[in-house]
Amino acid sequence: MVRLDHLSKSFRGRPALSGLSLEIQRGEIFGLLGHNGAGKSTTFGLMLGHLHPDSGEAFIAGHSVQRERAKAISRVGAIFEAPAFYEYMSGWHNLQFFVSLSGIVPDERLMEVVKLVRLEKRIHDPVRAYSHGMRQRLALAQALLPNPEFVLLDEPTEGLDPEGIQEMREMIRRLRDERGLTVMLSSHLLSEIERLCDRVAILHQGRMIFCGSWKGGEPHWRLDLDDAAKAAPVLEKLGVVSGAHHLVSLRPGGDMADVVAALVHAGVRVRGVEVVQATLEDFYMSHLVP
Amino acid sequence: MRLFLRQVSGELRKLFARKRTFIGFGAFLTFEIVVLFLLRLDKVQATVRRVIENAGYDAAVYLSGLTLGFLIVLWTVLLLEALFLALVAGDVVSKEVEDGSMRMMLCRPVSRGRILLLKGLVSLFYTFGLTLFVMLTALLAGFANSGIGGLFVFAPLEGVFAFHDFWPGLLRYLAAVPLLSLSLFTVTAMAFCLSCFNMKPSAATVITLSLLFADTILKNIPYFESLKGIFLTAKMSAWIHVFDYRIPWEMMVENYAWLVAINASLFLIGWQAFERRDFKS
Repeated sequence: MVRLDHLSKSFRGRPALSGLSLEIQRGEIFGLLGHNGAGKSTTFGLMLGHLHPDSGEAFIAGHSVQRERAKAISRVGAIFEAPAFYEYMSGWHNLQFFVSLSGIVPDERLMEVVKLVRLEKRIHDPVRAYSHGMRQRLALAQALLPNPEFVLLDEPTEGLDPEGIQEMREMIRRLRDERGLTVMLSSHLLSEIERLCDRVAILHQGRMIFCGSWKGGEPHWRLDLDDAAKAAPVLEKLGVVSGAHHLVSLRPGGDMADVVAALVHAGVRVRGVEVVQATLEDFYMSHLVP
Repeated sequence: MRLFLRQVSGELRKLFARKRTFIGFGAFLTFEIVVLFLLRLDKVQATVRRVIENAGYDAAVYLSGLTLGFLIVLWTVLLLEALFLALVAGDVVSKEVEDGSMRMMLCRPVSRGRILLLKGLVSLFYTFGLTLFVMLTALLAGFANSGIGGLFVFAPLEGVFAFHDFWPGLLRYLAAVPLLSLSLFTVTAMAFCLSCFNMKPSAATVITLSLLFADTILKNIPYFESLKGIFLTAKMSAWIHVFDYRIPWEMMVENYAWLVAINASLFLIGWQAFERRDFKS
């Protein structure tokens, strides 16, 4: 669905993105992670044709954004940075205006999407009277119109309350599951990315330092031992790597049962063993902090 | 075509949904009433009356609604309409970029050229609409104050001094609407062009007005008298010659051809700048 081919962009000589290449499959929910200034917005800007790359190309549905932008983004919906609507117009008129730039869309389709984001009661109010959550929902509605196959969501949950975040998350998942949408999203809320995304890319100072699934790696274990000093040489001998917070990880092919047996044999009492699956946050931090 | 018309109507809705747009119309109406009030003052009336009578015409006939309408337009347009058009056109692109709504528009499969074309058309429409409003309300105010009569035109800087009967005068007055609109569209085009560059809306307005003032000042320096015709504001003043006894068509066609070419060039320059820009927050 999406292919980024060695995209690079610099601003006033300072590189914002360096040789980014990645692919997103149809129906995938893909997360883009990185600190502020890592290059996430630059990536989105290049994918939407808001920015001209120094080199490289972005392809959406087989069309180059740089050479045939209108075709490439004809089936793309986006929430890019803070959604800016015309405050003095109603939500409905805002939608009508933005959608008219994509094509002629019947009012029934507009209302269908308005209902989907649950704005039907306030859609004819001026946008200046909308809460932040309502604006985000309106932004999602405009991204879902007229009928995208690929949706780019830049911080879609920013500023939402916990209920709003949950609603947004469920809506994104539903869109993928029921309508087969491909979604690319960025968020500072790693827990949201973790719950939603199949794969992630981590950007750091304009470079991609990871792309793939963070799940499926070797699990960590929490060992509750009575004598850590006595256990250390045993663990070292078995190739067990100790990490922070009393977490350990096994060497490839290692078995925790063998580790426990060896510890008991060495006279170390093992009070408990717990499998700890790494969170995206752990994964993210482990990539950013060497 | 249907899609294009829908897009134009969307842009028009944006323009006319803003209070600021109507505040402009209201400001003109207020200013016209102020000018009308000043024209009603005895001293002012006596001066106009004296000029008319010194030329051998009857002041009772030519100090009419049509004459007042013309005077109101002459004083209002150059000062206020140019300012207001520069303000509105300076906002057209750069304000949307500043607010972030341009980014939302650019998330759509529409070319940058088309977005500018829509905005250019709406600016043209607005210039014509505002000029028509100013000229018609000035005429109505003049009629309400002084009734029907002949038209007396006195524009010393352009060398126009003429008297017309009511119907020919009214015809020329109405013919002046599109001509004046086209002249003023140069102000719009200049501010529009600048707003396509990476600058704040106020900067586009200030630069436009500065260029116009500079052009006016240069035009009026006596040493440049022989070059007067090349200045932009001189070409923009061509509309007044529609009130000449014998309309200098050749000069007017030449001036308006220049203005059309300048406006088209400004649009193209703005478009190219807009195409090459990066849009980021």
